[in-house]
Amino acid sequence: MNNTRPGLAQYAVLALLAIVFLYPIWWALSSSFKPAAEIITSPLSIGELTLGNYRAMFADVPIGTGFANTALVLLVKGAMTMFFAPLAGYAFAKYDFPFKNLLFGTVLLTLMLPTLVLIIPLLLEMSALGWVNTYQALILPGSIDAFSIFWMRQTIAAIPNELIDAGRVDGAGEFGIFAKVVLPVIRPGLAALAVLTTMNVYNDFVWPVVAVNDTSHQTLQVVLSTLAQNVTGNRIGADFATVWGELLAAGSIAMLPLLVIFVLLQRHFINGILAGSVKG
Amino acid sequence: MRSTRLSPYLFIAPFFVVFAAFGIYPLIYALQLSFMRWRGAGAARWVGVDNYLYLLTSPDFWASLGNSAVMWVLIVPLQVVAGLGGAVLLANARLRLRGFFRVAFIAPFVTPLVAMAQVWIVVFDQDYGLINYLLNLAGLPDVAWLTSTTWSKPTLALLFLWKTTGFAIIILLAGLQAVPGGVYEAAALDGASRARQFWSITVPLVRRSMAFLVVIQTLAVFQMFAEPYVVTQGGPYGSTTTAGLYLYNHITASDLGTGAANSFLLVLLVFGLSLVSVRLLRPKDEVS
Repeated sequence: MNNTRPGLAQYAVLALLAIVFLYPIWWALSSSFKPAAEIITSPLSIGELTLGNYRAMFADVPIGTGFANTALVLLVKGAMTMFFAPLAGYAFAKYDFPFKNLLFGTVLLTLMLPTLVLIIPLLLEMSALGWVNTYQALILPGSIDAFSIFWMRQTIAAIPNELIDAGRVDGAGEFGIFAKVVLPVIRPGLAALAVLTTMNVYNDFVWPVVAVNDTSHQTLQVVLSTLAQNVTGNRIGADFATVWGELLAAGSIAMLPLLVIFVLLQRHFINGILAGSVKG
Repeated sequence: MRSTRLSPYLFIAPFFVVFAAFGIYPLIYALQLSFMRWRGAGAARWVGVDNYLYLLTSPDFWASLGNSAVMWVLIVPLQVVAGLGGAVLLANARLRLRGFFRVAFIAPFVTPLVAMAQVWIVVFDQDYGLINYLLNLAGLPDVAWLTSTTWSKPTLALLFLWKTTGFAIIILLAGLQAVPGGVYEAAALDGASRARQFWSITVPLVRRSMAFLVVIQTLAVFQMFAEPYVVTQGGPYGSTTTAGLYLYNHITASDLGTGAANSFLLVLLVFGLSLVSVRLLRPKDEVS
């Protein structure tokens, strides 16, 4: 790495980039608290602050239901990933068994399957099962993903075998070793996995928008998108200012939870994003 | 002993159950359906390769691939250059505020795409949007960002770039940090200029990370869906109907046989593209 003292120009470019990346977020958050009309008439200044946009938005779209549904999916899907992915990763990292390479190769192969391609096949399956508009449709497909297994296998492979053998000598069963020896050691990896899973499930859009079309099961992102479609659908005669106020309020409230977690747990996030990037 | 032999299979079984039920089974079912005419209700009729032929001779199908290809041109080269630039700036070990910059660059990647797509609707509105407001302040005329076929693609490309370039920087930074500092010192002693160091040391050494970035972003661009779905609904005049959105439109049209065929054509395309980019970007010493 190059270690000459960074010059003023370097800081200036970095600061400019930071503004480009952060300003749209800041503009959306701050504008959402302005009186609706001012978003259009004076987009740059911030004067009076109000919760009017939020009140109108809550009255207009079932965003509370969206949050609750996302939370439920996140909880169940997250729990499944956090339990089954390290378990399978452990088997692939620390056991020798017939067909292991073939089975692990299958896991790797599924990594290459583009998400979008499974959408129509899965939708067909869901309608055959009568699962359209159900929580199981939102949760089960992809609930134990290949990437998490691959990642956990890499993480667990780094544990010294002596540690696992010591557990065996102490009389722990196979699952006991996983729970009492392996899991505590890979805690940082688990934290990054949790953060990445949260981000993926929270922001997931393509599958939820296909699998669910009644308001009672819509996830947060789907609720948001219906609001946006109402705006563009009713352009003529719509009161722009009011609708925009609602859009920005909804967008802001949706991005806040993850941004807060991100700022608090940035190291785990960046580790998770780096590891997760191989998923593609 | 008996449990030891059985336990690894038990540990991996849940994944394979889920994969068989929600991966293999639907794929086989869809493959079968791609040779059938079925409108979501009633009986399906065997039509051979008609669905594939229909797509391959449909101007709309090719237009959707063309739209995605233009998006690729607008996004990927620019992102590699900007990502590399940002990574080089951040890689300096004596940089202050590095943590802050890293967080600032990654923040867009963490925001929900749908929420930011809404912000784009507002910010790029032709009549009341922030961007045209700023252009007017500078004495420039309005631009029809989302309502003209000229600007609709660049505006969506900008959303994609804004959201993921920080991610590109982090990927390339990880590649750069694997370059030992001593290499640069040796080069500087040999009298190599900064520009020369960049081209003959930095670029070859991050080539692997660059190849990786190009592959995953190529996959992402050809699957792009939420941006046009939320911001433009594929318009104006189909100019933002990407391959991903076109695929989705078969669902709304209840033309699922064609949709299934389209899925498989898209898989072939995406696999082909990633193979090509891996080959083109493979470091020279690894050829053969």
